[in-house]
Amino acid sequence: METKIYILVVEDEPEVLDAIVRDISTFESHFVIEMADTAEEAREIIQSIFDDGNEVGLILCDHVLPGDNGVELLVEMQHDPQTESTQKVLITGQAGLDETVRAVNEADLKHYIAKPWEKEKLVEIVKDQLTEYVLEHVSNPMQFMAVLDGERIAEQIRKGKSVTDN
Amino acid sequence: MSKVKWAGLILGLIGFCLPLFVSFPGLSLAGHFAMSIFLLAAVFWMFETIPIYSTSILVILAEVILLSSQGFIDYSSTSYSPLSYTEFLSTLADPIIILFLGGFILADASVKYDFDKSMTRYLLRPFGSRTSMMMLGLMLVTGFLSAFMSNTATTAMMITVILPIVAKMDPGDPARIGMALSVPFAANIGGMATPIGTPPNAVVIAALNQQGMEVEFSSWMIYAAPLAIVMLLIAWQILIRLYPPAMEAISLNLEGKLKTSPGALILYATFAVTVLLWVTESLHGIKSAIVALLPVAVLTLTSTFQKEDIRKLPWEVLWLIAGGISLGIAMKETGLAEWMVGAISWDQFGYLALLAVFATVALTMSNFLSNTVTASLLIPLAITLVTSGILQGTAGMMMIGLVIALGSSFAMILPISTPPNAIAVSTGMLKTKNMITAGLIIGLIGLGFILLLSMIYWPYLI
Repeated sequence: METKIYILVVEDEPEVLDAIVRDISTFESHFVIEMADTAEEAREIIQSIFDDGNEVGLILCDHVLPGDNGVELLVEMQHDPQTESTQKVLITGQAGLDETVRAVNEADLKHYIAKPWEKEKLVEIVKDQLTEYVLEHVSNPMQFMAVLDGERIAEQIRKGKSVTDN
Repeated sequence: MSKVKWAGLILGLIGFCLPLFVSFPGLSLAGHFAMSIFLLAAVFWMFETIPIYSTSILVILAEVILLSSQGFIDYSSTSYSPLSYTEFLSTLADPIIILFLGGFILADASVKYDFDKSMTRYLLRPFGSRTSMMMLGLMLVTGFLSAFMSNTATTAMMITVILPIVAKMDPGDPARIGMALSVPFAANIGGMATPIGTPPNAVVIAALNQQGMEVEFSSWMIYAAPLAIVMLLIAWQILIRLYPPAMEAISLNLEGKLKTSPGALILYATFAVTVLLWVTESLHGIKSAIVALLPVAVLTLTSTFQKEDIRKLPWEVLWLIAGGISLGIAMKETGLAEWMVGAISWDQFGYLALLAVFATVALTMSNFLSNTVTASLLIPLAITLVTSGILQGTAGMMMIGLVIALGSSFAMILPISTPPNAIAVSTGMLKTKNMITAGLIIGLIGLGFILLLSMIYWPYLI
């Protein structure tokens, strides 16, 4: 069976969670979108994804959550070899400067999205981050050309990284 | 492992064991072992149980063990005089492999210095902005580049050129499909034009060399390039008729400067000199494989092409070619090829019918298999037909070689037919059924032209 790549969305407000998932539904043809409303639940989901032999390509995480906050979750993921390569994006209205700096320095934060977001912008960011992920971690990124950044993927093939004449 | 791979593994092992337990009348002991290797390789190549390049290395290893004088089988009481193991190993440095190495280094250095992109921008300018003319331009440039670079890399580069064009088109414009098909088709066709255009050419030329027949770079081009040019034009017409552009004109940004760093300038000069020496081989007589060492030497000694770049070369393609060459040697030396060919009474076929059979088989097989594998499996049998007198002499040998190489390059029906096709379908701009329709028409016309050339063109040149 082929490895599935997950997009994990962590957000405690159900309406916001729904809105994010709806906005990025175009990626569902090639990725699995999974939702969690606390850091605790996110951990469990991540574990079960890996137990099934799949991977987490991208996490879109709110900062203010009941229990552990988003930045804590991202820093923890960065220290776990399984999720170190996951592209980490913070999507929030209320993270302070200190916490944001911590996410950049300790969780290798890839992007900060301030609420409210525009759909096009969110889709663009998700596309960029997933492209980054598949170019780095998937042996044959060609299969994602239609839904991600086709030009970047073609450019990598031009440089002979994944496909050659046969 | 998928079910298909499992099936391949089991069938391959059965195939390998079959000649060890069943005795085929008229086939020598060595021929039986060669058949084991042939069946294993054929099944593994077809089912891709293991990567195709590693099947090739397995072929060489098995030949050394089972068929060489340093191997484990004692042939002293048989009529087969085993070859030295170096005969099998040296296919990895066959002159045609060195020719490809030179081609790879030129191509990869071009990618490194964006020479392929600069050339594309420069060459596309005269075609203007009319959609149909631009498509012609794209196809001719793709064809030209893929005659010297890998078909796959050329396609990938051209896809980066057409994606912005297609993005400006109306989503319902049929020309989106036409354009997405034009690139891989042109790359497949362009590869036919030169010996280094695509790996099947290498396998065929190496097999002809083994027969003592030298194929010059320039003579291959005289045989094959006219076909490639005509087919590019035909493919263009087919695509604009099947998918007529809705927009009259399209703007395409062709801005961009040629790099002028010292490394880039060295590359341009080396590229020009090498290609010039290749295409004029018949005038000066310096063999193309020797010329191929020129870019290897010049680009590395000037650090234009460095250690990291060397590591990134597509070495596995060279293994694939070498495996094909050495399988051919084993089949011929052990008498297996002759035995297999002898099973059919070929003399009932006319000369043209024979070429038609091989062209059709090559075209059909390579729609489903790697083009190189197709050529590797067919050429030993074809060569044997010539040496056993069914086809006549040098001309017959050259023609059947051309038929196999060109026939396998005309396979472009499915995404799996060639890597360029796979890239085009992956962009999401077209459906597989679009590719089947257009690819089938082009393949059949190509087949017709191959046979036409073998009647009215090649016999007068060879």
